[in-house]
Amino acid sequence: MRLFLRNSILQIILALFLGLGLGLAYSWLISPVTYVDASPAILRADFKDQYRVVIAAAYESSHDLARARVRLELLSDTDPVGALSAQAQRMLGNGESDEQVQPLAQLATDLQQGVASISSTKTPAANVPFVSTPFAAISKTPEIETPFAEEVTPTTTTEFSEPTVVTTLSFEQTPLAPQQLFTATPRPTATPNRTIGAPFTLVGQDIVCDVNLKSGLLQFTLTDSRRRQVAGIEIIVTWAEGEDRFFTGFKPELGNGYADFIMQADTIYSIRVVEGGSFVPNISAPTCTDSNGATYLGGLLLTFQQP
Amino acid sequence: MTSSNWIKIFIAALIGIALGLVYGWVLAPVQYTDVTPNILREDYRVDYVLMVAEAHQNEQDPETAARRLAILGSESPAEIVTSALNYATNNNFTQDEIMLLQGLLTAMQKYQPQGIDAP
Repeated sequence: MRLFLRNSILQIILALFLGLGLGLAYSWLISPVTYVDASPAILRADFKDQYRVVIAAAYESSHDLARARVRLELLSDTDPVGALSAQAQRMLGNGESDEQVQPLAQLATDLQQGVASISSTKTPAANVPFVSTPFAAISKTPEIETPFAEEVTPTTTTEFSEPTVVTTLSFEQTPLAPQQLFTATPRPTATPNRTIGAPFTLVGQDIVCDVNLKSGLLQFTLTDSRRRQVAGIEIIVTWAEGEDRFFTGFKPELGNGYADFIMQADTIYSIRVVEGGSFVPNISAPTCTDSNGATYLGGLLLTFQQP
Repeated sequence: MTSSNWIKIFIAALIGIALGLVYGWVLAPVQYTDVTPNILREDYRVDYVLMVAEAHQNEQDPETAARRLAILGSESPAEIVTSALNYATNNNFTQDEIMLLQGLLTAMQKYQPQGIDAP
């Protein structure tokens, strides 16, 4: 102790560490950095869900897929389409109405296919995203000035370059998370239109005997007139004791127009595709035989297509 | 201890505090990951309000629009839309977008939450 009191170097080092501790305590606990200009990427999960709902609802109105895509990118999801699908499933699981879930499923499908489900009726100039978006308005960098006038053609789909990341650091209340400014670079692409409203008709009913699949698996594949799978179509399965409703597209890894249902043995089901009202009665799980001669409950694959 | 020693210790402590503040505020600040929308940057707030306006044009449901706007803070929906409209006007938003916001503002000005009688 006496040695310590006499050693001025040790005293200075101790004072330095003491000051460091006080400084850290003040900056982390007493007066931490305050966020006043946060980006959507750091929103709490439930607010991100709300943000996605609003993006999908806006898209349902505007059919501006490029803008919806950029808005989703603000949330920094690793897989925006997967996040939309997962949220739609959660909402269905929570008993929310089909009306609320449908826009999310539709947006997920359109993002995956890269085309808006319904072509925008806006003029090309009005349809270009970010001509006057807030992101453009706040930018002070010349990179986001894009030659829309020269490049834009009357199409509805655009591609985007990588976001420009601008980081601002200051002691005053400033965002410490990177701010992302997105530069829109429209490039013309084909914009196929989906046939809207045509009834789905049953074009295939195949027995599936595969021991690797779940017993009694009833699979649906819904395609439009161009044989592209269609998500967000409601299917109603009814039987003597009950009814189940579900949508295509919630297992995007199996196809946007895919849906499935587990049938029980000795039960007769009726299928109705809500959009267009296609009705298929007398569906039941077939009996299959494996390589050892044992029987098991097989599955069915129903294929619906718009004419 | 001599007074010069105390001065050295005091200066060392000040340097330590300064280093601690720089580290805690700049180099490794507190990371926020679950923030609420009321602290969104203004352009993001306005874009959110614009999305609500776009959706409202299709849905024509003031209740839903007001509920969506409510996450932006404690101001009334009409005040939130008014702020967004001012920003849009000052930042060269398209006429279509401004009209959408005006439509939403009109709806929010007329909107009365359920359970509260109109004056």
